[in-house]
Amino acid sequence: MTKKGIKPRTLDHLQDFGCTIPALILILMFTYFPILKLIQISFTNWNLLNDHYDYVGLKNWKWLFTGSGRKYLVNSLKVTFLYSAGELTITLFGGLVLALIFNTMHKGFSALRAIVFMPKYVAMSSAAVIFLWILNTDNGVLNYFITRLGGRRVDWLGQSSTAMISILMLTGWRAIGYGMIVYLAAIRSIPKDYYEAADLDGASYWTKLRSITLPMLGPTTLFLFVTTFISSMKVFQSVDVMTGGGPNRSTEVFVYQIYSYAMEDFRMDRASVMALAFFILLLVITASTMKLSNGRVNYDT
Amino acid sequence: MKKRGERVFCALLVVSLCVSGMFAGGTKEAPVKQQEIPKVDASKYEVTKPIEITWWHALENQYSDLVDEIVNDFNNSQDKIKVKAEYIGNYATVNETLVAAQVAGTGLPALVVANTPYVAQYGASGLCEDLNPYIQATGFDINDFGEGMIKASAYEGEQVSLPFLISTQIMYYNKDMAKAKGIEIPTKFKDMNEFLSKVTEFNADGSTKVWGTIVPGWDQWYFETFFLNNGVNIINPDGISTDFGGKASIETTKEIGDWIKKGYAYFAVGKDGSSIMRQTFIDQKAFSVIHTSSLYNTYVNLCKNFEVGMAWLPATDTKKQEIGGCVLLIPAKNDQQTKNAAWQFLSYLCSKEVNMKWAEGTGYMPTRKSVLETQEGKDFLAKKPAFKAIFDNLDNIYPRIQNKNWNQLAKIWMNYLSEFYNNGKDIDTGIPQMTEEINEVLED
Amino acid sequence: MLTEERTITERNERAIRNRRAISVLQWVLAIAVTVVAFFPIYWMLITSVKSQEEVLLLQPTFWPKEFHFENYANVMHKVKFAKYYVNTVIMTAGILVCQIITGVFAAYGFSKGQFKGKNALFMVVLGALMIPLQVTFIPIYVMFAHWHLTDTYLGLILPEAVSPYYIFMLRQTFMSIDDSYIDAARIDGVGKVGIITRILVPMCRSTLFTVTLVTFTSGWNSYFWPKIIAKEESHRVLTVGLAKLRDTFAGQGTMNNHEIMAGAVMAILPVVILFFVFQKYMLSGYSKAAMK
Repeated sequence: MTKKGIKPRTLDHLQDFGCTIPALILILMFTYFPILKLIQISFTNWNLLNDHYDYVGLKNWKWLFTGSGRKYLVNSLKVTFLYSAGELTITLFGGLVLALIFNTMHKGFSALRAIVFMPKYVAMSSAAVIFLWILNTDNGVLNYFITRLGGRRVDWLGQSSTAMISILMLTGWRAIGYGMIVYLAAIRSIPKDYYEAADLDGASYWTKLRSITLPMLGPTTLFLFVTTFISSMKVFQSVDVMTGGGPNRSTEVFVYQIYSYAMEDFRMDRASVMALAFFILLLVITASTMKLSNGRVNYDT
Repeated sequence: MKKRGERVFCALLVVSLCVSGMFAGGTKEAPVKQQEIPKVDASKYEVTKPIEITWWHALENQYSDLVDEIVNDFNNSQDKIKVKAEYIGNYATVNETLVAAQVAGTGLPALVVANTPYVAQYGASGLCEDLNPYIQATGFDINDFGEGMIKASAYEGEQVSLPFLISTQIMYYNKDMAKAKGIEIPTKFKDMNEFLSKVTEFNADGSTKVWGTIVPGWDQWYFETFFLNNGVNIINPDGISTDFGGKASIETTKEIGDWIKKGYAYFAVGKDGSSIMRQTFIDQKAFSVIHTSSLYNTYVNLCKNFEVGMAWLPATDTKKQEIGGCVLLIPAKNDQQTKNAAWQFLSYLCSKEVNMKWAEGTGYMPTRKSVLETQEGKDFLAKKPAFKAIFDNLDNIYPRIQNKNWNQLAKIWMNYLSEFYNNGKDIDTGIPQMTEEINEVLED
Repeated sequence: MLTEERTITERNERAIRNRRAISVLQWVLAIAVTVVAFFPIYWMLITSVKSQEEVLLLQPTFWPKEFHFENYANVMHKVKFAKYYVNTVIMTAGILVCQIITGVFAAYGFSKGQFKGKNALFMVVLGALMIPLQVTFIPIYVMFAHWHLTDTYLGLILPEAVSPYYIFMLRQTFMSIDDSYIDAARIDGVGKVGIITRILVPMCRSTLFTVTLVTFTSGWNSYFWPKIIAKEESHRVLTVGLAKLRDTFAGQGTMNNHEIMAGAVMAILPVVILFFVFQKYMLSGYSKAAMK
């Protein structure tokens, strides 16, 4: 039996599908296709300056995992995880502590909240420019405070021992307000009945904290952990502006290294292998955190 | 003001007369000594219509007035070409931006500076327009440049660029301090250790109060010559391997490391490394610093309390130093009209008169041999007596090592040195690793 | 009896004293935290109006000796800051418009729409969340270089034209809207586009607004991709321009931090002001995401 034209229902479904097409095409073009291209480039010796390239098999992969590239890979892993741990501690622990302290405060609270949260609106790269000036060895105001307190000037950005700390200072400035706000909102939504019941039982502050507050904050903590972990892996702006990966690669995070190979050395081949390694790392982290939260948590990039 | 403008105008008049009058310009000047020059049709290189072009440069803030003056003089001296000068960043940034534009095929400037080591890389990739036809078509006198400079701006027989702002490594030192201590900068590398021990001052707690010298670690150009003069082949004659693993290299690395360990010197790194080093010298907390001769004017202006001297870097039997600074090149992907206009501006910038302006207004050297023998050269020396150290050693200024993978090599080398000197990495185990990595990069 | 009363009043008094102590502690800490949080902004502001000599003093001053507002004019003169503003606005607006249009339609399709493979395709969208630009930028850059899209607005906007996060959030919101509204509209003869624009969107105004604000911030503050694709001044954006300002002024030659700070003020102040105004929405946006 032939019917002329398309069934109205099918047309309707096609239209629904059509609504999603622009998004899908763009996503395929700019997220999935590049992964394939990365894999292709990783098998070549492409230096952007030359007009052509050859296929060299597993040379770049070998370089990264068994050759001289390996120690840079390991270093980046170390540095990135170190940074991540720092940001997580500040956001979760610092945010929680502040939230607990300011929880019962009501007067002047909105002003506090606004100012502490404001750093998050400032672009990381712009904040980094400000911090460069504050951390300046000779004229920076931080060193001035330190000398006033009797200490010696610190070369914050010129020593491998303090470079990462400097980056974390910048991150902390931005992150702590965020952690605090999120925890505060979560704490305030815990039903008061629990606390009243505990008070009747004569529970101390610490008992209430341990048995009510912390467990009830579980989902929030998980959410913060997952989102902060994943976003901290992608750190770049602060490193690019403040240290350029140095000194001595002490702040050479993953993304910075990929960027450096691609846009400074123009070695697309090496950069692609690094990017793929990074991608695999991200997948592993995402998968394990998803397992951890049993899909309960929804996150954004 | 008027006189200079007139002189420039005359120069241009001459050039345009040559263009319109001559055809096979190769016969009169015979600029390149090596090969047969094909006949050149000069009319191909004329600028026929009004055109606006961009010039990318790396001259910072402190030179902006001079840049404006020189560009305005050119723009006002003729009405066909209008030049817009754009500061892009330091040499590394100019490189990145230029390569990005080259890859995209768009956004290329008509004329751009390039730090001298990039010449090989650019030459190999075909980024630069071969300037030989232009030189012949307009009768540009290329022989008046120092020989090393011309070699440094060519690649495999093609004149891919011209020397523009030339400098060399130099040791700036505090002349007043030197007089007070009765000390002179040694001429031999092996005497450095003893010299440094005499000029370095220490605090009671053993930390350094006044540095003997400071070694820049953000650009290997500054300390390269120590290695070269000690006989190290940074790149072996085969072009794809390095001699860094050899005895001379290890000894030199350790010697410098010794100065640092003893607190006589430090290896300056980081984005602020240069400013800090400069400030340390200005504050008289360093007896000497190794830097580029181009910053002479800046140092003199900032060191108001003492006299600044320049000394050739301590060496061995050879006193080789390398050309620094930048060349000017014309990207080949532009259209012919743009390239012609760019050439006009290029020849103006490299002309004798404008070159002297640069030399007077900055620390960059005069590039013309003829200048040095004339009254102008003598006047220059009278104004900047410290430059005698350079003028006495002009024959010792060599082109840089040209290799298309040079930048990667330099990056690896500097990173390792920083690890040795600032992080305490062991030199004996580190050098073979560094050699291996550099060999890998050179073979690519 | 008396002893009991006494211990009760004692306990009450202790409780009151504790509460006061805590309240004092809160206030002290609150002030400390506020000062620390605000300090970098304050430092940026006062440095931006100092003179060069004052900035380089070994002992920094906490209030400028004289006000040098010409620092701002100098920066705008030496560097094309106005152009950076224009570029940033165009880029951010472009990204916003693309994300909203593609997002709203896709969210509709994935929530109220019906077609084969709907869920599978939505997984594809979600999967994109795990593929960040920091990984894919190399091939995208090479592609764009080939298509002459470097230093163009299209080049700045395209990679961010779709936001899986946006689609996800909107889909959630759409799904919570009762189908009866849509059915009623359909009976009235309203087409798909009408349903989307006249029914669904107005009903999610506040979510839309919140998510839009978040997207606007991240677009305005983006640095990584604009730095890679727009190297020339013609299309440079504020964040990259500010970081570059540092190179221009504090390179081998000079240290003009007062002018750099003036640049920083110009770069970030509009956003900071904008968000103080729309604070409520911003905060709810961030905490709502957490509560889910």
